[in-house]
Amino acid sequence: MTQPVLEVRDLRVVFDTDDGTVRAVDGLSFALERGETLGIVGESGSGKSVTSLAVMGLIPRPAGRIVSGAIQYGGEDLLAASPRRLREIRGRRIAMIFQDPMTALNPFLSVGEQLAEMTRLHLKHSARQARDHAVAMLEQVGIPGAARRVDDYPHQFSGGMRQRVMIAMALSCDPEILIADEPTTALDVTIQAQILELLKQLRRDRGMSIILITHDLGVVANACQRVLVMYGGRIVEQAAAGPLFEQPRHPYTEGLLRSIPRWDGESTQLLRAIDGQPPNMAHPPSGCAFHPRCPYQLPRCKVETPGLTPRDAAGGGFKACFVDVASGAVAAASGAVASGAVASGAAASGAAAATAAAKQ
Amino acid sequence: MTQATNSAATDAGDSAQAAGRGPEASDKREWEALWEESRRIRGVSLWQDARRRLSRSFTARWSLRLLVAIVAVTVVTPLLPLQSPVKQDLKRRQFQPPNLRPVRLELPAAPSASPAGSAADPLETLWNRPSGLTRGMIRARLAVFGDWCVPSICGTDSLGRDVLSRILWGARVSLVVGIVASCVSLMIGVSYGAVAGYVGGWVDELMMRLVDILYSIPFIFVVIFLMTILGEPSLKKALFAYGIDQMVIFYLVIGALYWLTMARVVRGQVLSLRNEQFIEAARTIGAGTGRIVFRHIVPNVLSVVIVYLTLTIPSVMLFEAFLSFLGLGVSPPDVSLGLLINEGLQVITPVKTFSWLVVFPGLALTLTLFALNFLGDGLRDALDPRMKNR
Amino acid sequence: MSPFKFLAKRLLFAGLTLWLVYTVTFFMMRAVPGGPFASEKNLPAAVKRNIEARYQLDQPWYRQYATHLGRTLKGDLGPSYKLEDYTVNEVIAQGFPVSASLGIFALVCALAVGMTAGVVSAVARHTPWDYGFMALATVGIAVPNFVLASLAVIAFVFMLNLFPAAGWGSLRQLILPALCLAAPFAGYIARLTRTGMLEVLGLDYIRTAHAKGLAPRYVVMRHALRGAILPVVSYLGPATAGILSGSLVLERMFAIPGMGSHFIEAATQRDYTLAMGMVLVYSVLLLFMNTLVDISYAILDPRVKIG
Repeated sequence: MTQPVLEVRDLRVVFDTDDGTVRAVDGLSFALERGETLGIVGESGSGKSVTSLAVMGLIPRPAGRIVSGAIQYGGEDLLAASPRRLREIRGRRIAMIFQDPMTALNPFLSVGEQLAEMTRLHLKHSARQARDHAVAMLEQVGIPGAARRVDDYPHQFSGGMRQRVMIAMALSCDPEILIADEPTTALDVTIQAQILELLKQLRRDRGMSIILITHDLGVVANACQRVLVMYGGRIVEQAAAGPLFEQPRHPYTEGLLRSIPRWDGESTQLLRAIDGQPPNMAHPPSGCAFHPRCPYQLPRCKVETPGLTPRDAAGGGFKACFVDVASGAVAAASGAVASGAVASGAAASGAAAATAAAKQ
Repeated sequence: MTQATNSAATDAGDSAQAAGRGPEASDKREWEALWEESRRIRGVSLWQDARRRLSRSFTARWSLRLLVAIVAVTVVTPLLPLQSPVKQDLKRRQFQPPNLRPVRLELPAAPSASPAGSAADPLETLWNRPSGLTRGMIRARLAVFGDWCVPSICGTDSLGRDVLSRILWGARVSLVVGIVASCVSLMIGVSYGAVAGYVGGWVDELMMRLVDILYSIPFIFVVIFLMTILGEPSLKKALFAYGIDQMVIFYLVIGALYWLTMARVVRGQVLSLRNEQFIEAARTIGAGTGRIVFRHIVPNVLSVVIVYLTLTIPSVMLFEAFLSFLGLGVSPPDVSLGLLINEGLQVITPVKTFSWLVVFPGLALTLTLFALNFLGDGLRDALDPRMKNR
Repeated sequence: MSPFKFLAKRLLFAGLTLWLVYTVTFFMMRAVPGGPFASEKNLPAAVKRNIEARYQLDQPWYRQYATHLGRTLKGDLGPSYKLEDYTVNEVIAQGFPVSASLGIFALVCALAVGMTAGVVSAVARHTPWDYGFMALATVGIAVPNFVLASLAVIAFVFMLNLFPAAGWGSLRQLILPALCLAAPFAGYIARLTRTGMLEVLGLDYIRTAHAKGLAPRYVVMRHALRGAILPVVSYLGPATAGILSGSLVLERMFAIPGMGSHFIEAATQRDYTLAMGMVLVYSVLLLFMNTLVDISYAILDPRVKIG
């Protein structure tokens, strides 16, 4: 394998709030390979957005602080880089698109101005060049009548069109890495598919690497090669998309898969939510952060935090759990609830794997 | 609300039990777990939350303390051993700078002997036509302190009157004007806004158009024009015959001027609350109209009303001071802070400035306005639910 | 809505407002016992002649109202009730340029100082600059302008002899009253700008701008400032009203021969016709400013459609 384009090592980010210090990201490590789409999945508050902001150097200060870690990009540590150097990289090398296209574009500036200021800054375009480039980019992301619409203001575009504008803006300097933070969450379902298709096509054409942050497993199955599941600021499972959907090895991943409604599932089968609430990260549970909600909970889960271990003998991927979810080691877990849950869980995950395979 | 949720949970549990099959049994357990969990979540009421945030704001906390102190002092002013606010002494006590020289009230030989209301009654000569309760308080003060009084620690004015005493008596007038006129505006504003918001439709449209028009009138000038006309001596006499003196006119005119914002805010609140989802939610769980009005609408409107009341009082006081300063408001022998500052400024000459005549009343007015404004701001921030947890 | 239609609507609204002001003041003036419409009054012969010629005292009230309204619409505000040989128009023509220069100077000062302080405070939040500016702004807001002016006169005129005590004509005479007039508004504008700026700086599109690699200063000036000063722009309407009324006090204190001095004079001398004419002029000024503010708001914010 080649050198990864981006490598995050042992990243820890904390936020100071009224309730105390929140450990938003707690010892996160991952690598982004060239040309791949890496999905980061988790509930809100699991630290996935904070991770992306940390990579961009946009953790809101003074509330948020990066306590430790390294973000390696092209031989330099972004966390140690000067603000000036960071600004050179931001937008030019690593670009980002945000969740809500309604609020992420400046309502006071025309779309053309917002696109042009980027290339004028990074590519030293003249006003003329920048404008032409803006029109070209808008065309590329599929905005009809781009030459005419370049002087329009964001409020004159629909939600999907705005997200296209955001993408055009992010890609206008031809970055190596694109971070997409919930790019489709705020959009209608049909528009979601269009935007995902656009992202996939752009990745192919440009050979970009994409980090796709989402809580929507459908999006992950559709667009990602590799998936990272986060819970409570940590990675709980990491694997290639296929195996992950086929056979989740972490109770949380399994719970996530089970909670997706399926049109082809048995109608008698209950849709199962994961019990309990996401952890309050100002006062996280002891041991494994997931243990209060975990059907496989062991006594040691309350005390020890599981490290990342290989998912299975075949290699490929990691999980952070003492229990082997897939095998008969379920016996270690207690009670009828757990066994029932596993049974239905297996059915659901099997079905999910089928769709995942079909889509690839 | 608790009642409703409880019964819903029980219902679900009952039906699960009636079916009596495996999966439903585990359903019931889940329901119970959910119920258990929801019971553990404690809501923080708007008022508790507001109090917490108010007490956390440094300025609001100190403004409140200062305000309580100011109000307390002005309420008990007649009880305090102060010098006479009206007694003039052109010969010996003119323009004394702040000092600690002992002073005594010049009481007539036998105050108790002279009948009340006569020229010799100290209440008539040493105080400015006190009435009812104030008379009683002054009598109590005379009984306790006799003729002893606080020295002129704030100096004396051009007519030899004690500035400290005049400031406190003036502050009483200013505060009373502020509070009474604000309450007048409150009554007008709340009823106008509530009617407009509640009736809605074209009535609301018409009423709010009128408010818009009134808003764009430079009211201060109209009021000055009105005060000019009402100050016409013959008219003044006629009104006085009906028991309407200048202060009453003042309350009415200012009250009639400051209701616009209140009306708008209350109307907006009522209007939005009518369509609010939590009102719908309350209805769906079977809350009656009375409960909705008292539990949901009144507290929400009340909080805005309180905030705007605390913000109206200082602007009314400022307006009173402004008019009195221009010689169009409270007129002697009544005193108010604006009038005192004006008097102080009148006697400034290039040769001699009697700075204490301006500084002390100015300080008193500024501190009061300051405290009221900041308390209002603090309350607004504290009661604005959008600010929750910020 | 087209700009033309907007202006037409505005004009109609302004007309309605002015008519209301006019009618109320007219009848108030008519009702006052010692006023121009009363039969018994002790006036100089010349003034009496003017008044009688103007108000047609022998006519019934509706005829008086109509004639007077017609003349007012033509811009003729009638003779002064107390000043011999002066018309209200002449008095206003004398005072207006003086008040306008004082008011505009004060407004510009307030905007320049207030916005700068507000932006600096927001960007350098929780630094001594922020606390210093906000403390000053608080003092500026809380101290009534006549108290501030009184103290300023004592300090700068009588103790330090830096400025002339009163009068009009030179820049030195303008500075002290204009600054005293501007102070509360500068304070308020500073607070508004700071709040607006902090709010905007927390918005998503500012994060987007940072994500584009733009320099912080550029982000503040080009992306944040516009949204941040919108509240300031809406405040300009009330600020104008405040500056107009504030100039009443300051013109009087500094003996500046502007409209404010004349208005107070008119009010204390019971010069009813002059006072009424000035109320109308002030109303026109305010309506004009409010329209101007709405237009500039629409120019600043592309989402706002005029009307």
